[in-house]
Amino acid sequence: MRVILKTRPRAKPKIPIEAEEIIPQNFLRKNDIRVYEGNKERALDDLFFVTYEGPAVSPDQVEIVLTGDTGVIKRVGEYMNAGRIIIEGDIGMHCGNFMSAGEILIRGNADAWLGREMRGGHILCEGNSGHYCAAGYRGEKRGMRGGIVEVRGNSGDFTAEYLSGGEVIIHGDCGDLPGVEMRGGTLVIGGDCSRPCGNMTGGTCMIFGEAHKFLPTFRKNGTDDIVYAGKHYLMNLFRGDVANRGKGTLMVRQ
Amino acid sequence: MSGLLIKNAFVIDPISGVKGEIMDIAICDGKIVEEAPRDAEIIDAKGHLTLPGGIDSHSHVCGTKVNFGRYMSPEDMRAGRTARKGVMHVTSGYSVPTTFGNSYRYSTMGYTTVLEGAMAPLEARHTHEEFTATPHQDMLANTLFDGNWSVMEAVREKDVKRAAAVVAWTLSAVKGFAIKLTNPGGTEAWGWGRDMSTIHDVVPNFEVTPAEIIGTMIRANELLNLPHSVHLHCNNLGVPGNYRTTLDTISLVPDLNKDRQSLYLTHVQFHSYGGTTWRDICSKSEDITRTINSTPHVVMDMGQIMFGRTTTMTADGPMEFKLYMLHHNKWSNHDVELETGSGIIPVYYSRKSLVNCVMWAIGLELALLTKNPWQCLLSTDSPNGAPFIKYPEIIGLLMSRRFRENERKMIDPRTEHFVPLFAIDRELEWYDIAVMTRAGQAKALGITRIGKGYLTPGAEADVAIYPIKPGEIDPSVEYQQVVAGFSRTLYTIKRGRVVARDGEVVVEGANSTIWSKSNVPAEYDMGSDPEFTRKFEQYYTVRMRNYPVQEVYLPRGKMIASEAFL
Ligand SMILES: [Zn+2]
Repeated sequence: MRVILKTRPRAKPKIPIEAEEIIPQNFLRKNDIRVYEGNKERALDDLFFVTYEGPAVSPDQVEIVLTGDTGVIKRVGEYMNAGRIIIEGDIGMHCGNFMSAGEILIRGNADAWLGREMRGGHILCEGNSGHYCAAGYRGEKRGMRGGIVEVRGNSGDFTAEYLSGGEVIIHGDCGDLPGVEMRGGTLVIGGDCSRPCGNMTGGTCMIFGEAHKFLPTFRKNGTDDIVYAGKHYLMNLFRGDVANRGKGTLMVRQ
Repeated sequence: MSGLLIKNAFVIDPISGVKGEIMDIAICDGKIVEEAPRDAEIIDAKGHLTLPGGIDSHSHVCGTKVNFGRYMSPEDMRAGRTARKGVMHVTSGYSVPTTFGNSYRYSTMGYTTVLEGAMAPLEARHTHEEFTATPHQDMLANTLFDGNWSVMEAVREKDVKRAAAVVAWTLSAVKGFAIKLTNPGGTEAWGWGRDMSTIHDVVPNFEVTPAEIIGTMIRANELLNLPHSVHLHCNNLGVPGNYRTTLDTISLVPDLNKDRQSLYLTHVQFHSYGGTTWRDICSKSEDITRTINSTPHVVMDMGQIMFGRTTTMTADGPMEFKLYMLHHNKWSNHDVELETGSGIIPVYYSRKSLVNCVMWAIGLELALLTKNPWQCLLSTDSPNGAPFIKYPEIIGLLMSRRFRENERKMIDPRTEHFVPLFAIDRELEWYDIAVMTRAGQAKALGITRIGKGYLTPGAEADVAIYPIKPGEIDPSVEYQQVVAGFSRTLYTIKRGRVVARDGEVVVEGANSTIWSKSNVPAEYDMGSDPEFTRKFEQYYTVRMRNYPVQEVYLPRGKMIASEAFL
């Protein structure tokens, strides 16, 4: 089944929409789905033109397509556990919170907290992502625990903060402090970043661009010739963060 | 005149000697009276358990330290959220809720009076502002004197009267209720990089020992004729083998007051450990309770821990540092100039941790082995042992051996080798619970004089009616009903007005703050003592005239005045 949600024109288009109920399992039985516009509760129909195409017997056969002015919609895919969500444009904060399985494809940019504390599944963002991509929310000691988040563009600050499992791949640049407090999993940064992996205790981070303001609390551990995505790279190897008795691995391309 | 008549109440009112009788309670203008006005509203209690409003004699709900607990744990604030509803504000937080969260949750459990366990004098304004926003409970503040420089100087000079004078000035300046000593001398010593291991170690720069501070303050407290006794958090909290320190401390206490105890020991569970390390830690509750049973002039509260997540917060900075070294989680440490300090860390008490299981057992043992319920009050040192919403579960455990046995199956099986809990058959009765949750507190805090903790004419009309019919249930078997019953009242009545009903708060509430003022002769007024004022202006970063909390911070302040014997 394909569900197409096209945003309706709104009188005040800047008011954010909170839509944690937009997940495939909720459309299977065509539940009464409620969303919030600011602090007002609305029916899905009030804010979207909804079209259903074809049948589905299980949530993994449900595909949701979001189009229109989607950049203000928050929490899409929260606790999603099956199926597929395709966002034709940008998406608001907290997309894919806690998701455990299924797939989210974002053709535009994602705002902050993309894949926050995600446990499994796959998120692909073809544009850029905001701050705290694949991180833990305020105060949380574990960020993403499993699954894959892939961003084709750049990512903001604090990417993969508290990462403890799964894989985060940023093809472009990251902002400040990617992989800070990381304790497991893998973070791959295709471009540049600054101050990577402060306080890391575990996991692996690979940086193929330049690491600016490199922290002095990482111990050089030789070099290694690695194969990533079918290509050879010579990497400088570091262990740390020694300030935190960390046993993480940080690799930076020579 | 507004009246209320509660009919057919199954009343237990230990202070008035009522041990479970069906009776009516008449209320007029916020007080219990002989006869209700003719137009009084009537509540039919239908034989349900009716007690004086609950009183918590040691909890951490307001003040800078509590607030720091809130903002260092945003994940805790995301737990326990409730939406705005009727007169109820939005609330959030589980172990450190918002002030309204605390107030509503206490209110639906039937609590109408709460004592904040530790207020740093310098930071009193913040505490009073939060008191005002805790509208369903009358509030009192224990005021910290454990590292007060002027007090320690007086102790060094062996000048009890001067120590008393400093206390009198400070209490009245910050609108505090009683003297609180948290790890006396220990936090100050730690500030200089030292650790105190017994109450006879010397605090650097002051040349006084914790034992001297405690002894002097007990005497000073009686000279000031304060309603409550000294409220002590002993030295060496949480250290294996610390029961010796606790016993040493109890042996210092003279019997100086005929109406109440001369020393209140708080969260004694944390101070009853045997062994030498975390590996061989064991319960010494038997030694402690044996001493308590033969020392009627000392009262304690349990400081029970319950399994789950919570936040620890105390003025005992060094202890929190040790906990931090154990957990390596987030930690806050704070120094309050010339007075005290504090520390905060989040913790998780686990059934899989032998140490935690031993701690859990000790708290219960203290309550079960203390013969006189007036000497062991129910508390979790909320939120240190558990948030106060766990009280009903503790009541269930104390009233039901079967409940304890069921818990035994879920905890670390080695626990029974380290604790006597499972050999204790005692099951507390409704009367014991009524003492341990309100009457005992009222007496220990000395607030029966303002009508707290009982239900005979003249008393404040603070009443809690629970959905429990004592004659019809067997608490040792139907303990789940006991837990559910104590979790939400049918009616909570505060000053003659129904404030909560069936777990829902129905009015905004308007509380008062109770504070103590001891009138001292002019020569003991520290406000005009040249030595005191000189040092104040020299050392504090605030001017002495800006230090006292103005009346505007206590919109409904209620002063308990006393005459000092100086
Ligand atoms: Zn306390």
